[in-house]
Amino acid sequence: MLNLIQTEFLKLRRKKMIWFMLLAAFIMPFFAFLFFEYFNKNGVDSMGFYKWSVFGFTTFIILPFILGVLCTVLMHDENRYDMLKQLWIVPISKMGYFFSKFVIVLFYSICFMMITAVTSVLFSVLPGFVPFEWQSVLFLLERCLEIAVLTSFGVLPILAIASGQKGYVFPFCMTLLYIFLGFFTSSVNIYLHPLSSISFIIARSGNIPGLASAQGINVPLALLCTLIWDVLSVLFAHFSLNRRK
Amino acid sequence: MDILLLYYPKKRGNNMNDFVIETKKLIKVYGEQTAVKSVDLHVKPGRIYGLLGRNGAGKTTIMKMILGLTPITSGEIKVFGENLRGNEKRIYPRIGAIIETPGFYPNLTGTENLEIFAKLRGTASPNAVKKALEIVGLPYKDKKLFSKYSLGMKQRLGIANAILHDPELLILDEPTNGLDPIGIAEMRTFIKNLSSEHGKSILISSHILSEISLLADDIGIIDHGVLLEESSMKELEKKNSRYILLHVSDVSKASMILEQKFHLTDYSVQDEQTLRIYDTSLNMAVVNKTLVMQDVAVISSQVCGDTLEDYFKKITGGEVIA
Repeated sequence: MLNLIQTEFLKLRRKKMIWFMLLAAFIMPFFAFLFFEYFNKNGVDSMGFYKWSVFGFTTFIILPFILGVLCTVLMHDENRYDMLKQLWIVPISKMGYFFSKFVIVLFYSICFMMITAVTSVLFSVLPGFVPFEWQSVLFLLERCLEIAVLTSFGVLPILAIASGQKGYVFPFCMTLLYIFLGFFTSSVNIYLHPLSSISFIIARSGNIPGLASAQGINVPLALLCTLIWDVLSVLFAHFSLNRRK
Repeated sequence: MDILLLYYPKKRGNNMNDFVIETKKLIKVYGEQTAVKSVDLHVKPGRIYGLLGRNGAGKTTIMKMILGLTPITSGEIKVFGENLRGNEKRIYPRIGAIIETPGFYPNLTGTENLEIFAKLRGTASPNAVKKALEIVGLPYKDKKLFSKYSLGMKQRLGIANAILHDPELLILDEPTNGLDPIGIAEMRTFIKNLSSEHGKSILISSHILSEISLLADDIGIIDHGVLLEESSMKELEKKNSRYILLHVSDVSKASMILEQKFHLTDYSVQDEQTLRIYDTSLNMAVVNKTLVMQDVAVISSQVCGDTLEDYFKKITGGEVIA
């Protein structure tokens, strides 16, 4: 398994798109900076800034979208260039192959959120909007790590779909649909979709203003929702990888 | 190709008495089409088995089934004397293969691509990648990306990947595809050396008759999914009848003379001027002299033998392939 993960990293050499996508980690911290700069606000509550820079669109849309695209990219080349048969001949375990891709997604997600966290702190503290406090910074890092790990599990269905497709259009469209569904179900029933469950898990303690849910958040149930989707995704990936030779 | 001797130091002992690959009543059905019909294939250890057939005859499907790349509909496959089913993890690391045009990561160089496969295989030798590339004539640590490779280079890289882990059995599906004539000759020498010097067992498929006739020790002729013939090249050469082809001015008169003077019955008339005499022990000098004395002009006489091409044509009952 370790060999598979190492080779997954080797395969990413010269993939400029992977680095380019990391730029998206700067989007919301930068917009938060512009927003507070425009309103010339000083002494802002740090959580107020982080809600804009991290806990808003980054968590709901940007990170799932970037991870969805990453899942598609990771599976695309091997499918497109008919490489799977070379790999199966080695032989490698089909599920080991799938999970090694997932490890890349997880690692990338953590990097992405750490960049977002650091950029948020820089854009909030350096202009003087927010005073530097270890407590809030550590809270931000902890939640960013949570978001990164949970969202990477949340996009497992996209990885499973991409594993069964030669092209990239269908997994890409499914990424958009999946994110839209997550957005939609968060106003209906948060336990139906991993992304809506995750966003509510993040807001569980209520110390992110504006993100505290009116519903009583049942964290185990939200995790169970993600788990069920993930188990189904793994089964789907197992089936589709066995079917694809 | 001398590097080969450094790379594969000794002929590996093979304690198998049976076949390296043995299939029994192997069948593959795609939808309503039967691609492989009850094939019994026997690849002997240390020999080159050439699977010969037209495009679409079922060669690649058989190889894919052996490599587990497509499920078998029915039948049995034994590799290294073991049933393939359930023993894949033990058997496949002992096999190197190229199936169709090998695919690699376009964003990586040839060396980087092979390093990935070496890592996946857990190849012990640190110089395995370098040696494999040297064998196929590709540069080590070259900066050229795989996406910029020519078809021939891609094919060479595929072969380098197949031999990277020093496998006992090589399964090569049309490995000379895309190679230039010199490359084909080099590859032929290389494949022959792998078998003769290092005891590798090789199953190679091709639709090029001359390629198989120059390479293979044993041959299997497949047509429309049916393995029509399986024998060694030596047996095949024996089977291919030798005859004397006689061109004369008057076939009927010549036939009469052959029957009366030489008591010959084992011959056939090909056309108005050509006879085929199957008794090659006949003294042609005497035959020619006798025919000329009887006013039958002898235009030419020569000893001929069926080529593999003739044989293929004969047993498939159709046109030759290449």
